[in-house]
Amino acid sequence: MSIEAAEALDRAPDPAAPHSRRERTERLDDGDREPPPRNFLRQAVLDTVTSRGARAGLTWLAIVAAWAVFAPFIANSHPILLKMNGTWSSPLWRYLTGSDIILLITFFTVTILAAGRWFSPLASLGIIAGMLVVVVPLCMLVTRTPTNVVYEQYREWAAEGKVQKAWYAPIPYSPNDRLRDVRDARLKPPSRQHWLGTDTNGADLFSNIIHASRIALSVGFISTGIAVVIGVFVGGLMGYFVGAVDLFGMRLIEIFEAIPRLLLLFTVTAFIQERSIYLLMTVIGLTGWTGYARFLRGEFLTLRKLDFVQAAVAAGLPRRLILFRHMLINALTPILVNTTFGVASAILVESILTFLGLGLVNESSWGSLLNQARAGGAGVVLTIAIFPGLAIFLTVFAYNLVGEAVRDALDPKLRKRD
Amino acid sequence: MRWTPSCASVTELTATRDNRTMPTPSQPLLEVSNLTIGFDTNRGEIRPVNDVSFSVFPGQTVAIVGESGCGKSVTAMSILRLIPSPPGKVIGGRVLMEGRDLLTLSEREMRGVRGKEIAMIFQEPMTSLNPVYSIGDQIVEAITLHQGVSSREAYRIAEEALHDVGIADPRRRIHEYPHQMSGGMRQRVMIAMALSCRPKLLIADEPTTALDVTIQAQILELLRKLQKERGMSILLITHDLGVVAENADVVGVMYASRIVEFATVEDLFDRPQHPYTEGLFRSVPKLSTDEGRLATIAGTVPNPAKFPTGCKFHPRCPRTRDAAARVAPADVVEVRSAGEQFNVLKTCATREPELREVGPSHWASCLLVESFERSPVTTPRLRHRRAVEPVVIDGAAPPPGALTTGMTL
Repeated sequence: MSIEAAEALDRAPDPAAPHSRRERTERLDDGDREPPPRNFLRQAVLDTVTSRGARAGLTWLAIVAAWAVFAPFIANSHPILLKMNGTWSSPLWRYLTGSDIILLITFFTVTILAAGRWFSPLASLGIIAGMLVVVVPLCMLVTRTPTNVVYEQYREWAAEGKVQKAWYAPIPYSPNDRLRDVRDARLKPPSRQHWLGTDTNGADLFSNIIHASRIALSVGFISTGIAVVIGVFVGGLMGYFVGAVDLFGMRLIEIFEAIPRLLLLFTVTAFIQERSIYLLMTVIGLTGWTGYARFLRGEFLTLRKLDFVQAAVAAGLPRRLILFRHMLINALTPILVNTTFGVASAILVESILTFLGLGLVNESSWGSLLNQARAGGAGVVLTIAIFPGLAIFLTVFAYNLVGEAVRDALDPKLRKRD
Repeated sequence: MRWTPSCASVTELTATRDNRTMPTPSQPLLEVSNLTIGFDTNRGEIRPVNDVSFSVFPGQTVAIVGESGCGKSVTAMSILRLIPSPPGKVIGGRVLMEGRDLLTLSEREMRGVRGKEIAMIFQEPMTSLNPVYSIGDQIVEAITLHQGVSSREAYRIAEEALHDVGIADPRRRIHEYPHQMSGGMRQRVMIAMALSCRPKLLIADEPTTALDVTIQAQILELLRKLQKERGMSILLITHDLGVVAENADVVGVMYASRIVEFATVEDLFDRPQHPYTEGLFRSVPKLSTDEGRLATIAGTVPNPAKFPTGCKFHPRCPRTRDAAARVAPADVVEVRSAGEQFNVLKTCATREPELREVGPSHWASCLLVESFERSPVTTPRLRHRRAVEPVVIDGAAPPPGALTTGMTL
């Protein structure tokens, strides 16, 4: 799910909105020339994309997103094609997991929808439903991922001369291929075999970084998503109803802001035995909503006084329409800016937690890789410190660049008049 | 020179002196009686609208005129109950729309009135439209809500509405966004939006204040034309006496939360009774006289948090100062206003005059109007419509229909 959002942000920042409007235009114009309506959103997206910083940021995020989606095809110990004893097989496909497949399907669905502007909303819905109902269960049925994975077997077979032909992914090491069959595989410096070297377990570092991008992105998006939903709900209530609701809401925010976020996360992860990435996301999300709530409250307080909201009330529109159609839409664009910064900070928090050893045990993340640079107390291994650190830094930096560009594009004071 | 309204003659003047003895042929569309609005502030309760009464008849244009902060906008907003409920509240009075008291309706019932029976247009066309939706979407929203038609039909109605307010190529412009339009265009869109559901009453809260003069004239012209075509009433809130002279049938002058004078537009401009109205007319520049400096009313509008005692106009009133010079010192009090000290009549400073019918179809609230003490206290009600003055271009004989439509060319 998170990657779908990532893809939507990277490729088609405005995927769904123009559809219906375009449809309507065409229906009314009966095919004659359609004036290009210079949508505020489209203009903002254009302004964002033309900024140099945002381009650099988006490029890096696209790379990370591509890593996340295509991780098994970029770094994998299983050969893509294997000819052994005269028969061809594809161990890579056989060993794809459910999450791999869901990610790939989501990616292709989003790409099809973003590329195919001609789809009506109904057709888009149909495509999404079709993917969900037909393709996902089918893939689940077809792929029966073996639970016991032995990576060494390929190298053993090759050594025994059983393999006639084998095509590997660009990085022929899975993140948890610990190279137990290779002597002194641990803490190797970068070489032609291991582009960024190996970690304390002897696993390929680059492969780990690529596979860990999934965790980074999903933590960023899901925890920020949770925070935004709660924040918008609470902030909207406070800003619209003012009075007692506002008073109570602000006190609630102050209580939440008084809790130190990291300490709470330590406590929760320490108390709960079973480490789960979702728990992490939830806690980061539940502690991060106050900023959005404050922000939206302020926006609503100004919006409710604005003439077009008054005009909507005077036109007899029900409260639901005024809240969602007139106020929330106008407040969402600035929220979007905060969200990009929020994703960056969530990724950072996750890295901090996993660096301190409070993350997942059997799946590496950028933070836990960074932790391995300590090499069990035997000094610092520079390569392991630099590369995961660089991944964290670049991703957070990219989000901030994009956020800044979006803010500039949405700020009417900085906008050039058309 | 007297400021005279542009209409030449009064053809229909059926003022009702007393409702009980002479039943009006038609009931008022809107009747505001003794409306008092209070606001809770941290300096105590203030009353920006105090005991305001007036009525609007079908097809009539009633103007409420006054300086900024006199309560005219609050009056307009409270008719549609748009006053934010804390801190604002209705302290007393009724707002009858075709006999229904709007102040007692539920919020749901009120939504049926807003936009459908009473529509409102606002002062700032630049901010009155939602920037993220095309104007068509915004007009259609209200139409589908109140008329229950399909989206396609609503678009057709919206196109028609845009055509009616004089927007060229509505089929194309309906898909444009507010930022693609000029201020005048946006105000036209606002009018189209307000009138798309054919309301019986349009409240226009300073509809032309933010526009430049030529556009002002166009917009007012448009409002007049649409009013003629649809027979709706307009409650015009303005501070521009020129706008009043051009458009209103009946005028209420507001000062410091009260209506101080109420009359037909001709009567008011010919024979202003209240010193404040007189002051307003004096402070309009005239082309015929060569004055060095424009006359002003001394002092400023009082703060609603501390209105003066007695007649709220007495610290600024030239009439009471003149009168104070001619009476015994016992009947005089000293007042300090706008940095100067002078004497006013004691009665003016202590007794608040109510709105009385001081002449035929003329109400005023000033103790120094000659007939004031003899006049009855009645609710201002004027079924007056100004005469239509057709414009004939270059002496060419207009077609027979042109005169009766009443449209200026």
